[in-house]
Amino acid sequence: MSKPIEKVMSAPDAVKRFVNDGDHLIIGNYTVGTCMELVFEIIRQGKKGFTLYSQSGILDVELLVAAGAVERLVATYVLRSGGRNGGSAVERALQDGSLQIEDYTNYNYNARLMAGMHGFSFMQVFEGIMVTDLFKKRSFMGEDKYRVIKCPYTGKDVVTVPAANPDVCIVHVQRADKFGNAQYWGAIGSVPAAALASKRIIITCEEIVDTEIIRSSPHHTIIPAFRADAVIEVPWGAHPTEVVGHYNQDKLMWGLFIMAAAGGKRLQAWMDEWVFNCQDRQAYIDHYVERFGSGRLQKLVAKPLYSAPANYGSAFHSTWDANGKDRGTGLTMEEIENLLEERGLLHD
Amino acid sequence: MTKKYTLDELLIIAVAREIHDYDNVILGIGLPTTAGALAKALHAPQANLMMEAGMIDFEPVIPPNHIADVMACKGYACATDLFTAFTMTYRGFVDICFLGVGQIDKFGNLNTTSIGDYYKPDLRLPGSGGAADFISYSKRTILTMRGGEFVEELEYFTSPGYLGGGNERDRSGLFPQGSGPAKLITQKGIFEFDPVTKEIVLASIHPRISVKDVQKDVPWELKISETLAETKPPSDAEINFIRDFAPAAAMGRALASEIGFANLIKELEARGKIQ
Repeated sequence: MSKPIEKVMSAPDAVKRFVNDGDHLIIGNYTVGTCMELVFEIIRQGKKGFTLYSQSGILDVELLVAAGAVERLVATYVLRSGGRNGGSAVERALQDGSLQIEDYTNYNYNARLMAGMHGFSFMQVFEGIMVTDLFKKRSFMGEDKYRVIKCPYTGKDVVTVPAANPDVCIVHVQRADKFGNAQYWGAIGSVPAAALASKRIIITCEEIVDTEIIRSSPHHTIIPAFRADAVIEVPWGAHPTEVVGHYNQDKLMWGLFIMAAAGGKRLQAWMDEWVFNCQDRQAYIDHYVERFGSGRLQKLVAKPLYSAPANYGSAFHSTWDANGKDRGTGLTMEEIENLLEERGLLHD
Repeated sequence: MTKKYTLDELLIIAVAREIHDYDNVILGIGLPTTAGALAKALHAPQANLMMEAGMIDFEPVIPPNHIADVMACKGYACATDLFTAFTMTYRGFVDICFLGVGQIDKFGNLNTTSIGDYYKPDLRLPGSGGAADFISYSKRTILTMRGGEFVEELEYFTSPGYLGGGNERDRSGLFPQGSGPAKLITQKGIFEFDPVTKEIVLASIHPRISVKDVQKDVPWELKISETLAETKPPSDAEINFIRDFAPAAAMGRALASEIGFANLIKELEARGKIQ
């Protein structure tokens, strides 16, 4: 089924339409620029039963797990708040049996997405993993966490991971156009692979820009429009994480969250205040300003540091030269048509 | 008489000294980033600093918050992806990487995943992240430990050191010959691995620390190098660089977050934003 051409909608609409209970849900962002507003909206709508993929899950994973939305987690790295005496929502959910986790290394996790993105059924990973408990201890994926095959060329054992094709990817980027061409720059991580491996893609961006801007800088586009399902302009959409060129990490809010994550009740109180009592990102930012002052937010705004423009220029942008002659044959249109007639190549 | 230093500074400086000019370096989260900046500023100007998020040849101007913090530098030479950062490690292009330690055993194998039953853990630690793949395929790996522990047996085997010791790692055929952890650096000393048995050996001890202080953290009889040395104290230039570049790193995590948080509260109180 082809997707509609223009995909601009609200975050609540996008989540209603494209995120289903029980989905394999993947966080597209890696460590930075996390799609916080989409995470919040999924929690507000009470979606649940997810198999969640997150390569560097901190706030995103903690909140979705604390909300009881996640049954299974595929991860490489999780939060631990407050050292030995602290904890995390993930730890509490593992302890009470409400969550299962499948641990991969960063590369193994990414390899599953690379396979999925390119349509392969598996990807080769590094054989050293076989001596570790990542390979030996398996959770819900069982035998399919890793499988070992013989390389047909070298005859050596090759370790593989299965492709991952999540149902839906939520991802935040710097800019996109209304058709869903999404541009992201900075730490690339696994962001393009997470998005393109997925069946549906919901994009939030700091700004929606004219398609001309996208077309003049296609090297920044990580998701082409034909793969996108929804585009939502959400300024400050990744706060309290940072977005390159827009704002820095907010250490105040980050600190409040990290402290809250160490205890279940405190985390619930944080979520009540910042997720459930704020109906959307604007309300969240308004509440932040009310609590801490607009000055704190302004201090985070990035000063510009522009990339040098890449020159996409060409000697000419027309087949016809200044004298109206085709550059290849040196003929005018009239001469070409006469020639075709002469040679008997034209038909009624 | 050189300046007085903190143990965090001593640790960072010992790490920085492991970076050689022209090394291709993968920096992990935390103190290695400060060590990388120090090395580049003072003794390894041509070192190529990289992070697994895909940044190649970056020069941090402030301490990065994490391994994907491009806002800590003013541009960098190449923005590749995480997949490529690891495959270039697998192909042998990475000279040195740094890993933090949760638990470490006698042969430099590591646990950063969990304490207790893996499926219902007493403590859930962060996990592998890039660790298992980097220590497998980087030419050298330097381990750092603050708050981790030496154990007879790991509760979860996250990252391979020398496996059961001797030549087991090389013999397995799974890793580049001669790879594996080169050193462990703690706030008490610097450890190396015996060239034959691959057992961890105390090679250098920080000033004013006794062998007994080190032994009390280790549940087996620790091997001591016959050439046990005292760690060379930091130079003023090294100390000054760290304090200027990353005062919080000089203070250490606990003190820096205590004071940082107090500073936030003070600011908010002054603005009447909290009671």
